Amino acid sequence: MYYPEPISKLIDSFTKLPGIGPKTAVRLAFFVINMNDDDVMDFANSLVKAKRELSHCSICGHITDQDPCSICQDNSRNSSVICVVQDPKDVIAMEKMKEFSGKYHVLHGAISPMDGIGPEDINVPDLINRLKDEEVDELILATNPNIEGEATAMYISRLVKPSGVRTTRIAHGLPVGGDLEYADEVTLSKAIEGRRDL
Amino acid sequence: MHIQQLKLKNYRNYQKLDIPFDDKVNVIIGENAQGKTNLMEAIYLLAFTKSHRTPRDKELISWDEEYAKIEGRVTKRKQSFPLDIIISRKGKKAKLNHIEQKRLSQYIGALNVVMFAPEDLTLVKGPPHIRRRFIDMELGQIQPKYVYHLGHYQKILKQRNHLLKQMQRKGKQDKTMLQVLTDQLIEHAAILLERRFMFLELLRKWAKPIHSGISRQMENLDIRYNPTIGVSEEENKEKIETIYSNKFNEIQEKEIDRGTTLIGPHRDDLVFYVNDKDVQVYGSQGQQRTTALSVKLAELDLIYNEVGEYPVLLLDDVLSELDNYRQSHLLNTIQGKVQTFVSTTNVDGINHETLKRAELFRVRNGIIDI
Repeated sequence: MYYPEPISKLIDSFTKLPGIGPKTAVRLAFFVINMNDDDVMDFANSLVKAKRELSHCSICGHITDQDPCSICQDNSRNSSVICVVQDPKDVIAMEKMKEFSGKYHVLHGAISPMDGIGPEDINVPDLINRLKDEEVDELILATNPNIEGEATAMYISRLVKPSGVRTTRIAHGLPVGGDLEYADEVTLSKAIEGRRDL
Repeated sequence: MHIQQLKLKNYRNYQKLDIPFDDKVNVIIGENAQGKTNLMEAIYLLAFTKSHRTPRDKELISWDEEYAKIEGRVTKRKQSFPLDIIISRKGKKAKLNHIEQKRLSQYIGALNVVMFAPEDLTLVKGPPHIRRRFIDMELGQIQPKYVYHLGHYQKILKQRNHLLKQMQRKGKQDKTMLQVLTDQLIEHAAILLERRFMFLELLRKWAKPIHSGISRQMENLDIRYNPTIGVSEEENKEKIETIYSNKFNEIQEKEIDRGTTLIGPHRDDLVFYVNDKDVQVYGSQGQQRTTALSVKLAELDLIYNEVGEYPVLLLDDVLSELDNYRQSHLLNTIQGKVQTFVSTTNVDGINHETLKRAELFRVRNGIIDI
């Protein structure tokens, strides 16, 4: 009641964003009012555009402004290797590495019965169809190394096993450039488990 | 190890407290409802980050206050370091040497505490979860890695139970996912079991002679693990995994039918035998007490041998529950080597050398006179 309606609506919109509570929302809303008109227009347009023009790629599920996405369309990439990740942000992290030239599949989550998320609620059925339609030799399972991510990777690998496609799991252990002494014991024991011959 | 000093702020009925402790015996005297157990609870919390009385941390904050703080200075292997627990309405922080520890398994074990309270007398006759909690807590403080595996086990168990419930309700038969969660569960279950077996062997070793002493060589104590699967203590981890795996296959339909996980460390139990008779069923009240006391005292030696120093012993209102003979046995055991906190309404009835040399603290309404 203290705020005029337009600003209270704006505050309400900001509170819908993650990590923003009522106080920050008020601060942001007042900041927006003092911004110049063009900037506000740009801001509003980018919001609408991002929502309208971006969709999920019908093949891999990555966010894209064209369908299929640029990665799926790129013929120079090796389409016989698919890297399975949980989130579009993971694709971007992998791409930054510039080492991986295969294709991706984005699950948009991990299997978690506790939260009511089953295999059919994430992008697993599409992945299975892709394996049928495309010539795939290897599936790299790059889900997060926590309980749910691990379960999801195990689930997919079992589902795929009968088809004869090779499934691999990314290694976990010490971060590169880190110090051994700062590693926690769980990470360290994983690193020992995954040691290699030199 | 011992606690040199304890500071409390807004903790239950203590607004502000700052007291130094004797490294031998500290007796806390006070009428009922003055804050004796609260003080014991604070020390327990400093070791385990959890209260032994309540799972709700908010209860620990004084009425109308924003946060509660427990600070302790601990001496261990001739080194002195601070421990802090800060409880606010939003959550809890545990600091070791001023650095916040995000993982429970990295904090627990810094201070070892053994508590003996009236409710511990139900260790033998009470429901199984009391005995499981006993193993989990005591094993956790000597092997922090156990806490990590236990945490993972409980999380996977929760996922698996949800899946089983969904399968039960919808008749949905996605057995691959069930199999995945079963394998994950078995991995941690086997580790828990292997470590529990190891702990039990140590506990038996230390508890037997103590029990024999308290019972004037009349009784022979044995402790056995009662698992939900047919497995003996000699099996190694791989064998335990195979046994679990076979059993889970066997009962799969039954588990879906019931909608919950039917076997595993979360359903196991301990059985105490005196002269080859199950004490829970056939033992007298006295035998049950003696058994509980022997097991608690055995922990002192067990921790001494695993950690290299005696833990801090908390005797909360428990002396009055024991007869003279058991009392003096208890007090003889701790004499001069274990820092002990004794809470009691009065010391008049207890005539023992150990208490005569003790430091006395009088509690009245959350204030302690030194």
